[in-house]
Amino acid sequence: MPCKHYKEALIEAAASGAAPSGELRLHFGECASCREAFAQEQFLFSAIDSDRHAAANAEVPASLVPRVRARLEETIAPRLGWMQPLVLASACVALAFAVFLMARPHHAAPEEVAKQGPVMVPAPTAPKTKANPEKISPSGSQIGALRVNHFQVLRNSTNRHSAASSNREVLVPPDEREGLAHLVATLNERRDFAVALRAQRPEKKDGLVTVDPLQISDIEIKPLEGTETETSDGAGETH
Amino acid sequence: MQELVLSQPVSTVRSELVREAARADAQREFEERLAECGPLAYRVARSVLRNTADAEDVAQEALLRAYKGFERLRDRTHFRGWLVRISFRLALDKLRSGKRREQRDTLWSQPAHLPPPLTAEDVAASNQFQNHLERALDGLPEKFRLVLLLSAMEGYTVEEIAAMIGVPLGTVKSRIFLARKKLAEKLRCHANTIKRR
Repeated sequence: MPCKHYKEALIEAAASGAAPSGELRLHFGECASCREAFAQEQFLFSAIDSDRHAAANAEVPASLVPRVRARLEETIAPRLGWMQPLVLASACVALAFAVFLMARPHHAAPEEVAKQGPVMVPAPTAPKTKANPEKISPSGSQIGALRVNHFQVLRNSTNRHSAASSNREVLVPPDEREGLAHLVATLNERRDFAVALRAQRPEKKDGLVTVDPLQISDIEIKPLEGTETETSDGAGETH
Repeated sequence: MQELVLSQPVSTVRSELVREAARADAQREFEERLAECGPLAYRVARSVLRNTADAEDVAQEALLRAYKGFERLRDRTHFRGWLVRISFRLALDKLRSGKRREQRDTLWSQPAHLPPPLTAEDVAASNQFQNHLERALDGLPEKFRLVLLLSAMEGYTVEEIAAMIGVPLGTVKSRIFLARKKLAEKLRCHANTIKRR
């Protein structure tokens, strides 16, 4: 057993690895048990250090870095592997959608016409026999021109506009679109009503228009009273 | 009058390109550091786990994690200390989970009383000492343990350790001193085991 007074000092000295101080060295010369305790402490610390040193400086396997590189590549590759099919798939979907839009027929149902924005509606083709409407048969061709098939909906697209330019077109205000569509549908369903509408239209014969000549009374010209003016230079000119 | 500029698509593409370039730079830089810092991660793990295979697994995992977070690391000069901490934490986690598993396996598969190995006394004493030391190390605070571990590594001075883990030099020195002292206190009662070693 070391002496109580020197116990802490000898442990500190052994832990720090430094040589014992003068007083402690003198004591070691006199006390064999403290000398032995100091040697024991030094041995303990060196055992700890050598064990730690052996554990901390183990040989690194040569396979470590290549294996890490391989795992890094595995980590990076799936990231790109996921990205590429995703990009391809989205490109295919976009292409298919574009093809679908281009190949889509340009006509729409009358009900859809009402839902759309400003539209241009082809007007019924002018009848060749307009001068003699009474000769039109009940299933006349005038009404046939208003068939829904010819009732093409044209959007603002210039391509579509040019594609449908064979028919005459009218611009329909948004608030009248629904009514017009309804009228066209009704006329298609009830031809007799359409013919009646056409027949009731009052005939208007051309006549000579006479214009009465304009009557203008004589104009009396009088000088205005008290309209003397002076110029700014004060010359006193009278007009 | 407010001016509207259609700049988002261009800026998005540009930022994507910049990000891609930064990622490539980070990858290149990490590759350069891998050869230098890989052994450090392994040694940290090895000194905690005392097992080559486990240490290699932990080092790999630590390096992969470091790679994943490398772009977010603001100051690349702290990479070493950062990697050391990752490796140290992972090794401690593995050690603790391994010990739990070992305890379970021991309880279920081994008889309660096994006769002590009758092989050479020195080997037995050495194993005993290592077991005591491991237990003593487990009882140390992590900040003491990390500093002690790094100080035992060849090639790192106390100043370098202080810079690596971002702690003042005096603090590192006192931690090493206190850690060794605490270990010695716990192992003193097994001094006879050490003597026989």
